[in-house]
Amino acid sequence: MAAGGRREALALYKALLRESGKFTSYNYREYALRRVRDGFRKAKSLTTEADQKRELEMAKESLQVIKRQVVLGNLYRSPTLVIEK
Amino acid sequence: MKNKLRNRNSLAHDSLTTAPAAAAAAAVGTSRKMATLARTLHLVSRIRPSTVLSILPRAAAVGCLHTTSLQEHRGVSRVVQPAIDKTSWCSSSVRDYSSKPPLTLDLIQQRVLLVLKLYDKINPEKLSVESHFMQDLGLDSLDHVEVIMAMEDEFGFEIPDADAEKLLRPADIIRYVADKEDIYD
Repeated sequence: MAAGGRREALALYKALLRESGKFTSYNYREYALRRVRDGFRKAKSLTTEADQKRELEMAKESLQVIKRQVVLGNLYRSPTLVIEK
Repeated sequence: MKNKLRNRNSLAHDSLTTAPAAAAAAAVGTSRKMATLARTLHLVSRIRPSTVLSILPRAAAVGCLHTTSLQEHRGVSRVVQPAIDKTSWCSSSVRDYSSKPPLTLDLIQQRVLLVLKLYDKINPEKLSVESHFMQDLGLDSLDHVEVIMAMEDEFGFEIPDADAEKLLRPADIIRYVADKEDIYD
């Protein structure tokens, strides 16, 4: 991957993890963190330019989705689960 | 008044254990006190609200005067006191609730190594201050991002991506944090 793409991917990874950690709901939070980590690790070995671009686009879209859902999740909180206590 | 009454009561209680005759006398005394208390309460209840309203503002003004004079007095004592006993006065009344405990290089190193030890992909036995994240500890660039995020959480400030790229050993992180917090040995 080109140096610029690599840097962009790492920045996206960080932003996604930071944003995912903000979910109030335990299940969404853990799922999002797990999914981001798995997704990036899977896409790490992609070699063709087109694949990388597609994955980066998907990551950007997911970031927007996560940002929206974090806000929505904050509006409709549920009581914390037993495992969180 | 109530306090006095309580004192009397306790005295009466003491005498009760010593002599029954004295106890009886004290009991009469307390009952008389109770009667006067009840009478004063009754009198207070008979004061008209209008008189209270007319007296209150005056009382408030006097109270205000009283507090200002008190404050002036305090101001004077505050100026005078440090000259008398500077060290103990300063240490007792200046409290920094929002400050964090002072960091030292040693403390930073301990905290950095603890965070790294707790990261599940790092083998704590291989970890040392000079070990390279990628070459010695076998992390990839994604893990490195997570390590940097953990450091941000630990020390409470953000590390820009451009700086984060260069922090490839625990020693680098320690020096970076120390520079950021203005700590030099």
